[in-house]
Amino acid sequence: MPAVMSPEAPSAAATSAATPDAEASAAPAARRRAPGGSAATAELGNEAYLAALAGLAGMGPARLERLLGRWGPAEAWGVLVAGRLADAATTARVGERVARRWIRDAAVADPTEMHRRHSESGVTVARRGSPGYPKRLQGDPEPPAVLFRQGEPDILERPTVTIVGTRRCTRYGADVAFELARTAAAHGVAVISGLAIGIDAAAHAGALAADEAPPVGVVGSGLDRIYPRENAVLWKIVAQRGLLLSEAPLGTPPERWRFPARNRIMAALGDACIVVESHADGGALGTVTEAARRGRTVAAVPGPIRSPASAGSNRLIAEGCGVVCDVEDLLVLLDVERARLPLRVPPADAQPTSEGTAETILDAFDWMPATLEMLAARTGTDLGELSWHLENLIAAGLLARQGLWYERRAEQPSAAARRA
Amino acid sequence: MHAEVSSAVLHGVSGQAVRVEVHVSKGIPGFTIVGLPDASCRESRDRVRAALHSSKLPWPDNRVTVNLAPGGLRKEGAGLDLAIAVALLLAQGHLAKPAVEGSAFLGELGLDGSLRRVPGTLSMVEAVKCDRVVVATDAYAEARLSGEPEALCAPTLGQLVSCLRGEADWTTPALSPPRSPSGPMEDLREVRGQPLGRRALEIAAAGGHHLLMVGPPGAGKTMLARRLPGLLPPLDRDAARVVTRIYSAGDFGVPTSELIIAPPFRAPHHGATMAALVGGGSRALRPGEISAAHGGVLFLDELGEFSPVVLDALRQPLEEGVIRVSRAVGSVSFPAEFVLVGSMNPCPCGNAGGPGQCRCSDAARVRYARRLSGPLLDRFDMRLFVQRPTAEELFRGRPGEPTAAVRERVTEARRRAAHRGVRCNSLLGSSALEAEAPLAPEAARLAERAVASGQLSARGLQRVRSVGLTVCDLDGRPPPLRGPDVALALQLRNNPVWLDRSYAGSHVA
Repeated sequence: MPAVMSPEAPSAAATSAATPDAEASAAPAARRRAPGGSAATAELGNEAYLAALAGLAGMGPARLERLLGRWGPAEAWGVLVAGRLADAATTARVGERVARRWIRDAAVADPTEMHRRHSESGVTVARRGSPGYPKRLQGDPEPPAVLFRQGEPDILERPTVTIVGTRRCTRYGADVAFELARTAAAHGVAVISGLAIGIDAAAHAGALAADEAPPVGVVGSGLDRIYPRENAVLWKIVAQRGLLLSEAPLGTPPERWRFPARNRIMAALGDACIVVESHADGGALGTVTEAARRGRTVAAVPGPIRSPASAGSNRLIAEGCGVVCDVEDLLVLLDVERARLPLRVPPADAQPTSEGTAETILDAFDWMPATLEMLAARTGTDLGELSWHLENLIAAGLLARQGLWYERRAEQPSAAARRA
Repeated sequence: MHAEVSSAVLHGVSGQAVRVEVHVSKGIPGFTIVGLPDASCRESRDRVRAALHSSKLPWPDNRVTVNLAPGGLRKEGAGLDLAIAVALLLAQGHLAKPAVEGSAFLGELGLDGSLRRVPGTLSMVEAVKCDRVVVATDAYAEARLSGEPEALCAPTLGQLVSCLRGEADWTTPALSPPRSPSGPMEDLREVRGQPLGRRALEIAAAGGHHLLMVGPPGAGKTMLARRLPGLLPPLDRDAARVVTRIYSAGDFGVPTSELIIAPPFRAPHHGATMAALVGGGSRALRPGEISAAHGGVLFLDELGEFSPVVLDALRQPLEEGVIRVSRAVGSVSFPAEFVLVGSMNPCPCGNAGGPGQCRCSDAARVRYARRLSGPLLDRFDMRLFVQRPTAEELFRGRPGEPTAAVRERVTEARRRAAHRGVRCNSLLGSSALEAEAPLAPEAARLAERAVASGQLSARGLQRVRSVGLTVCDLDGRPPPLRGPDVALALQLRNNPVWLDRSYAGSHVA
């Protein structure tokens, strides 16, 4: 990856950075720096300072926006380095304590080093109003002042859908999220989610499985701070094949307050917001509120009324938001032409197992998960025989197991992901 | 004036023969005990003197040296009192040498001259190399259990001296009739529902497989565990002797007047210290709970609440069936071969296991699960999730199979294992398993799938084989293992629910 970061705005001049429309670009900075041989801070590109400013503790979008409204990035940084406490505090409208901390941190921070790290990891920073900044966020009520990204920004030119839900999802929720995301992506819709475990991960995996429109991950930490660790593989694949966005520069830890803030970006980026499963007080409901504020279509996937994991999403439906009962609903919602999806190919290792008891066992399932003991009571089969048939049904892709629970299975997410 | 009398002391749970030598010579009156006596042993002097006085027997007004041979062995406890008293009487010519020849003396003296039982009587009786052994009246029943040297008893020192002199006859206390085996046993019939739990208990009993039960509070984990010892066949004579020796030496509050043939059940509290659980102690090295569970069941309720250090100390005895306790005062081995049954909640809130029901944070769940170290978890051949029975099962479920019927199958399965040269299948080594538990083709395919999918390690596969073999034995079928045997073993080896982390990431990996 070359050090050039923003190919779409090579001519933007650093000097006019006071206007928010200026694109911060590394290219001119790199060019200017090369002959002189001096890495004097004054010659650094604006984005180095944007990253440095955004990386300060407690620097939320509103404060950053106010600072950048008065000064250009380099200038604002200069103000902090010079220790102009009163100036900084009044402009950002923060207390003296916060401003003093900024000044202290700025004194030891190194924008050059920060800039180098971003270039090396292929992370680009876009100031609001610059060409690299997503258009959907341009008119937002709370737009991010800067946005860091890794991957192809053109993806956001497509129709988009945000799929969110609980981290503690059921197999049902994960299957539905996977299937919805796969269908949406197969129709050219970019799927946006938050790269958390549970529904988010299933949605990203589904989008990847379609291998058509790449997925978009919006995260709360710096793009090098993979959180949660369980999703490391998924995170890297999304970064390679899709787009990763964050308001925070590299190295920012996943602080608690950043996740609600991240949710508003997800809500703003999606044409529609689908909640697959949410607990009664789940974080996904925050995303829904943000989406509704922005006039985006909101819809929820109904779940079993006894499942706590669906309590929040079912409540949304009761309160009158849209319902997604199948992929068709989703496509109508997004106003996408229903194209022909490729037929599902059964996994190669599947063997016909539907004989004798295996069939009886499948019949003993309703559409709720069941444990071995429940099935034993329903079918009267010996525990060993029953385990044996269950293993075979799993191998054939007809059942899924999560912990103790067995569930009939409509789709074959893992096999689909593997094929993709 | 020199005299010698046989006796014994307790070392761990085994006895050690000791010669008590007394030398009475002219000189300034004094009394010395040599030969590494501990404090309670040295206090013998005062007890012996008072007892002799109370019994109107002479106390030497000379210089007395008592030597406890072998001199290099530490002697603990008051069990040598009687032997010292008899040796003193012998040295003073108050008793004739032929009267005590071929006899050993074991017992503590009271100040009034009464004789008392000392812990570990059975082991010590077995250790002395004499034809007769004299003990306190309350230790008579236990001393008789050894069969070899003939046991005699007396209630007081005075009475004993009369008997030795031939002035009185030895009395034999009336033995209480044998107790019925440990009262009304808890029966498996009372367990409603829980088909998998019942099956796991049966397999644990037959194959000696350690069992971990995870489940929400009130699901019936303790209820199941308490019924496991009833499924075990009674101890054979040798095992019963070992267990009785342990109980006699350790004073676990179980009478040892007859051989203990019911497999023991020990359920130490989770506050148990290392010494209480595995044995030891600062002075005398006493057997711990795991030795008290020898031949039976050790039930650790709320496994997650035990100190991790204490739990990890179980790893060696679980492997070897023996615990070696080494302290500054010496080192001893205690037998400790037991079926370990652990129980714990799946997470701090206790509700994990049902999809989407647990309200604990991921971090809290992981922290909870970490209390159990991987190596210890690996020792459990079966990890069972116990679910709360439904109201239907509780009120209308039919009573299950009674303990006696299951025990019959277990006894039969253990007999099959005995033909393989081990007491139970869990003790079969990997090469023996290879030979004894071949897999039918469809079972091999299933096992291969489990290994290939990362669900099972190589060691796990061995354990699954061993459990599968026990299932075969219980069904009365000869190997090879069929598909359902392996499937059930896999089912029972499932990783505990909390380790089955969110599967979402697995869509891609």
